Amino acid sequence: MSRALAAALAFLATATATTPGETLVRPGESLAEVAARTLGSEGAAAELLAFNHLEGTPAAGTRLLLPGPERARAVAAIGSARSAVVQAPPGSARTEAESRLAEAESLLAHARYAEAAAEADGAWKLLADSREPRSRFAVAVEPDGRTRVRVHEGVPVRVEAQGHSRTVRAGETLAVIRGEPPGEPTIESGPGGRSEPPVLVSPEPGLKLALEPAPGGLGPVRFTWKPVPEAAGYVVELVGPRSQTLRTAQPGITVPGLPQGRYRWSVRAVQGDGELGPAATRMVQLVPGRIKLEVKEAPWQ
Amino acid sequence: MALCLPLLVCAPACRRDAGAPPPVAPRQPVRATLARVKGAVSVKRAAGDEWRAATEGTTLYDDDKLRTGSGGSAELRFPSGTVVAVSEDTLLGIAETQAAPGRPQADVTVLRGAVDATLDRPANQSLTVGTPAATVRAGREIVFQ
Repeated sequence: MSRALAAALAFLATATATTPGETLVRPGESLAEVAARTLGSEGAAAELLAFNHLEGTPAAGTRLLLPGPERARAVAAIGSARSAVVQAPPGSARTEAESRLAEAESLLAHARYAEAAAEADGAWKLLADSREPRSRFAVAVEPDGRTRVRVHEGVPVRVEAQGHSRTVRAGETLAVIRGEPPGEPTIESGPGGRSEPPVLVSPEPGLKLALEPAPGGLGPVRFTWKPVPEAAGYVVELVGPRSQTLRTAQPGITVPGLPQGRYRWSVRAVQGDGELGPAATRMVQLVPGRIKLEVKEAPWQ
Repeated sequence: MALCLPLLVCAPACRRDAGAPPPVAPRQPVRATLARVKGAVSVKRAAGDEWRAATEGTTLYDDDKLRTGSGGSAELRFPSGTVVAVSEDTLLGIAETQAAPGRPQADVTVLRGAVDATLDRPANQSLTVGTPAATVRAGREIVFQ
């Protein structure tokens, strides 16, 4: 029997002795390959070293400990936070959340899983809590000197020119010719204009929904709205006892169960270019009840 | 010795890289910081005549100017949290702001091009955008007709 075969057999004999929470470095296997085999990513090589308090590449036959469910929790929290950051509008909340997300990723790379999960949760919560009505508007100076003001969403803005003042509200556009007072705002929905917010259908505004116990709390809860022309999909945000962001291609979504309490739910259309349109928002309260209230489907469905 | 002192004083300025944004007078309050800089974006200081390439984290002060070229874009992040996204082919200036204590305010003057402004806490923020034709006021203390 050759020496190489003996070594391989010896390795196999040892490998069979590993427990689920550990692994052996195989002959010829790089650390990146071990990380890919055990943690699903070659990029987790440094994390594997940190978790085992090792420096440098471990030799074949080295027994490595593998992280348990605490890593899965951290990875899931970072995934949720990353998704929330991608969907978040510009603003101080997103900036801070991006910073906390980067810190969470760094902590994960150092195998500090509990801290990474806490940091990622913090980033996610920051965005969930910051969803108060915001103000977004555009100002363009056109080549002929004309100023065009368009309010996408939120509180109105005031446009002043030549001693006159006009209020421009969400969805309105106002053009001002240089040297002239502002004219009347117009509602613009043609090409280049952003879509209107979806028209929410159910649950109705301020409704108290009595629901039966379901996995995750009470349910099911169905949210519906009218389709937005040319929308590629919709983003639904629930802010309440269990906040979450959901995506759907249909003008409605069913959540199997939610903890009881008050929720603010909002819907945005995803435009063809991937941008999110303005949000429509409502409140609903979920309470436990023996009588289940059925939410009727709208006729357009 | 008398000749050495001026040389020592000017040394930091003389060492700066040609592509770096020019220095500013000390103790000026930072009005905005640049983020998400893409493509051709340059800054001209209030006291300077030269346009210099801007980078992430470049700070802007009163009367500084920002210019984006074709395909260029950037975000102006104000201390109040207000974010102004600057589109391509835009020229704007940071206006002097006389804000009351505890009332964060941001002022910009758009001379050419387009900006998209976001106030995520409009009850506590205000932004004024001036143009050659009009003044746009958003946020707190707006009195509506």
